[in-house]
Amino acid sequence: MSQYIPNFIIPDALLLLFPFIVIGSRLFCDYKSKIPWRIANFGFIAIFILLNLIPLASGEGRFFISNWRVDDFGVLMREVLMVSAILGMWLSKDYFEHGADGKPQMHQIAEFIGAIAFATFGGFTVVSACDLLTFFLGLEIATIPMYALTAWNKQDQMGSEAATKYILMGSVATAFELFGFSYLYGFAGSLHFNEIQHAITNGTSPLLWLSVLFLFCGIGFKLTLFPFYTWAPDVYEGAPTPVTAVLSVTSKATAIAFLVVLVYGPLAPIQQQIAPLIALLAGVTLFVGNLGALKQSRLRRFMAYSSIAQAGYIMVALLGPATMGKTAIVYYLFVYAVSNYLAFFIFGIIGHHREETFASLRGLSKQNPSLAIALAISMFSLAGIPPLAGFFGKFHLFFSGASTGHYVLVAFAVLNNVLALFYYLQLIKSAWVDEPDGHLTPLRLTKRQRGVVILLSIAVVVIGFMPFLSDNIFAGFNL
Amino acid sequence: MINDVTLGYLILLLPLFTFVVNGLFLGNKCAKAAAALAVVCNGLAAASAILLATDYFCSDYAPQKAILFEYVFIPFAGELIAKIGMLIDPLSTMMLVVVTFISFMVNIYSIGYMREDRAAGRFFSLLSLFSFSMLGLVVATNLFQMFIFWELVGVSSYLLIGFWYHKPSAVSASKQAFILTRFADSFFLLGIVLVSYVVGSFDFSTINDLSLSAFKATSVNLGICSMSAADALILGSVLIFTGGWGKSAMFPMHIWLPNAMEGPTPVSSIIHSATMVVAGVYLVARLFPFMAACGNTLTLIMWVGAFTMVFAAVIACTQKDIKRILAYSTLSQLGYMMFALGACKMGQVVAVTGWTASTFHIFTHAFFKCSLFLIAGSLIHQVHTNDLDAMGGLRKKMPLTYICTLISILAISGIPPFSGFFSKDEIILAAFQGHHYAVFGLALLTSGLTTFYMFRLFFLAFHGEPRHEGVRAGHVHEDFAMTLPIVILAVPALLSGLLGKGIFEKFFTPGKLHVPQLLKLAHAEWIPYTAVGVAILALLIAWFLYASPKAKIARALDETNRSGLYKVIYHKFYFDEMYYTVVRQFIFGGVARVSRFIQDYIVEGILAFVIWFVHKLGDLVRTAQAGYLPFYLGTLIVGVLIWRFFGQLPL
Repeated sequence: MSQYIPNFIIPDALLLLFPFIVIGSRLFCDYKSKIPWRIANFGFIAIFILLNLIPLASGEGRFFISNWRVDDFGVLMREVLMVSAILGMWLSKDYFEHGADGKPQMHQIAEFIGAIAFATFGGFTVVSACDLLTFFLGLEIATIPMYALTAWNKQDQMGSEAATKYILMGSVATAFELFGFSYLYGFAGSLHFNEIQHAITNGTSPLLWLSVLFLFCGIGFKLTLFPFYTWAPDVYEGAPTPVTAVLSVTSKATAIAFLVVLVYGPLAPIQQQIAPLIALLAGVTLFVGNLGALKQSRLRRFMAYSSIAQAGYIMVALLGPATMGKTAIVYYLFVYAVSNYLAFFIFGIIGHHREETFASLRGLSKQNPSLAIALAISMFSLAGIPPLAGFFGKFHLFFSGASTGHYVLVAFAVLNNVLALFYYLQLIKSAWVDEPDGHLTPLRLTKRQRGVVILLSIAVVVIGFMPFLSDNIFAGFNL
Repeated sequence: MINDVTLGYLILLLPLFTFVVNGLFLGNKCAKAAAALAVVCNGLAAASAILLATDYFCSDYAPQKAILFEYVFIPFAGELIAKIGMLIDPLSTMMLVVVTFISFMVNIYSIGYMREDRAAGRFFSLLSLFSFSMLGLVVATNLFQMFIFWELVGVSSYLLIGFWYHKPSAVSASKQAFILTRFADSFFLLGIVLVSYVVGSFDFSTINDLSLSAFKATSVNLGICSMSAADALILGSVLIFTGGWGKSAMFPMHIWLPNAMEGPTPVSSIIHSATMVVAGVYLVARLFPFMAACGNTLTLIMWVGAFTMVFAAVIACTQKDIKRILAYSTLSQLGYMMFALGACKMGQVVAVTGWTASTFHIFTHAFFKCSLFLIAGSLIHQVHTNDLDAMGGLRKKMPLTYICTLISILAISGIPPFSGFFSKDEIILAAFQGHHYAVFGLALLTSGLTTFYMFRLFFLAFHGEPRHEGVRAGHVHEDFAMTLPIVILAVPALLSGLLGKGIFEKFFTPGKLHVPQLLKLAHAEWIPYTAVGVAILALLIAWFLYASPKAKIARALDETNRSGLYKVIYHKFYFDEMYYTVVRQFIFGGVARVSRFIQDYIVEGILAFVIWFVHKLGDLVRTAQAGYLPFYLGTLIVGVLIWRFFGQLPL
């Protein structure tokens, strides 16, 4: 068989099978069994390891049935998505054991993990697509489980409200997307990326520009670009914390992968012409995200604005040449996933005992110094302070943007970083400077929480101290 | 067998090691261990330096330059690479010996001097930092390295002057010294930038190899104006000299040095007399071929040096604070060294006697002046005052110190066969050979003044009746740790001139010159006799005024009945007051107030407005987030319209 099934497709196939196995295993064991959880852990980690074994291939990549492309960018994006899925799964476990942040306990962990796996597979599909149909399907596979995940906590009204908003707005965005695709098809007369690219090279028409406008607006919803971000703060706050984390990483990574595939694929011939649009979207989004984050008191709402701003930063890299832009984005997504999950783990730990607000962080450095250090590491990394990973990530993003001469935007983004530093530092100030509040319940960390927080803290520091890791990603593209 | 490179590393790294260990670990907790470590390491460094010097001067290689090691520090661009290395030539070898030896002596001395000080650990640590920095400075292979260590010695000087930071006077003196030398250093840095920009290298060898004629044709743009490269180099040489001007406390940047006497006496001894302050002279000597090629820079140097020499000697004649007398004496001697370098130039040709004389004087001066400061420290330690008024009659109580003082004072006065005679004689000869007769006259005059004020100090401190209760009551004794280095230093104070003359005349020349050298040098056999005659005359005057049986000491020390001129000199020509006026009225009252106003109202105002504005915008974003679904859906439509019109798509 092995000569018929190319081995680079194995992780994708496994991931597709995976949710069925996890959910199916529930039929054979009782309500409290830990078997599905163990299968899920084993499966996700196995898929991640298998992905790492795929050698990076340059150029066009390899094809499976002519319609499923696995190239180097795709493999690295798959790794980012799997990291996010694994961390999301670990983060969610505690929420199935007891309630948190004033919300009741969740149930049906197997289905929950299955939904995450489907969303992840959606992301895989987006980066493997060669034609508009697969592309669109991937995006929808990635999005629909998110609606369900947001409303996972059936007893929580906030969650239901958030899911309603999310699904309604998501539908409109999908409509925009489809509208854009249909015009693109109308313009090129083909669904296939190569042929669309060929058609664009031969000449443009208003039909194409209209389709580009709608495609960007549609994806702007998922990437929380201005002014399509309005759902994000409400949904991030209403959804259970682990879902918020998955939303902020997996969903965002999928959306940015979508843009990367589009901009460096079929739309590559007109990258110059759409650069002003990208630059404007990036600049306005990061500015508005930073402004919104300035005056928040609830942690998840704060993280929503923070991730809006981060989306803006990532967009800056799209202005660069293909290799540089892709490298910067993949590297930054790794860094962003690690830093963001570290923050969410800490907020989760706090949420298990207290409300998830800034006030709950007060005096953390005295009660639990190691957690306070981890918080500082994560916030400094998100703010982009050297020598932490976030700095090098942002550096590559900005470098990519600057390499095509968008100095004004890069300068604006760097200035905005000062603004961002202000609110990230406020969090650190709460933890390190403010006096402890006697009424706060003490924090207790489980072994898993402690282990993951330590692992992620080390990862953030180590990736920062070893910037050659990013050079390796560079090298991977330059082969 | 330890080779020369290892010795080089040892010389540099032992003091650094002492600084780190004493500073971080031993500190004030075990001051005795810190002192022992400092003495041992500096002793080893001194031994290494002497071994290295012996190796170097005994080898056939001797007058040539050698680089023991060199590392790339910052590659700026192309050839412009900042390196850290170790240059060995007669000049730097001589300085290595002087610095390590003096440092060793001062460390021993400090055991006694700092015995009762609770911060002794910090003191030994900083002293080693200074030694390391000074050694790094003298072995610099290029301007950049020199500047790094130049600043390091500045910092250690600052830290050590203000060592007793509980004394306000020490704090203000340390600030004054630091700010004033930094002021000069900013010009030095400008000069480095300018010269390295024109030449394209920091290396001394490259810069010293320049001949100005190659730069006449090209012109450089300096941003504000453009000038020919040759003029830029001349400007650069003056700017670089300005660094040495401040560091060597030449007039009018001299005021920090006497005030720096607020620091502990061992510090004054090593930093403010023997080593750091000669860095300016060393800089000019190191860049001598470059300076000689650069127009009239040397003439400027000569006049700055000569004026400082006379000026400081005149002030020294009236002072009563023993350390200040020595400080002004140091200024005057630095003036000697500086003008000797400058006096080499006459018209378009150069005679190199002055260079040899100047480096020779660095060598001899280091020993006797260091010794004199240590003696002053000893006296202060016993009498608990700096004031000559309160001393007197110490000869009987401190016999060894008395003899050593006499040796050093005879050395500085230029009486044969003491060391100062040889070097000073050569300097005066250099002025004569350069046909700078005015400066020659001033040098002879200053020689007399020097003898006068040194013997004034000597007689007032050691002769006559004791004027201090402690001395009368017999509480005064000689401390072993403090007397030992004084006695050891008396040996080179006596002999270094006699023994060093041959070595200096054989090996010490400034290297290849790109200006014609004066071949026919005037020889004047009568100069030594004249100089000694002047010195002996001055000695007799001092004896007559302060030590003869008829002398009225009380009247000599009385200040009430003085002429106006004396008062002006006694108040150091009111230079401190002039500085304070300029600083207070002009800088604090004028410039600082204006900048304060700009800062308080304009900069802070703009900042406050920006913060207010950003927060308002933040509120706006927050208000838009009302949680109202139809509004959210509206944003989707509005968004499409916004990007339709503002997205700059060619629709």
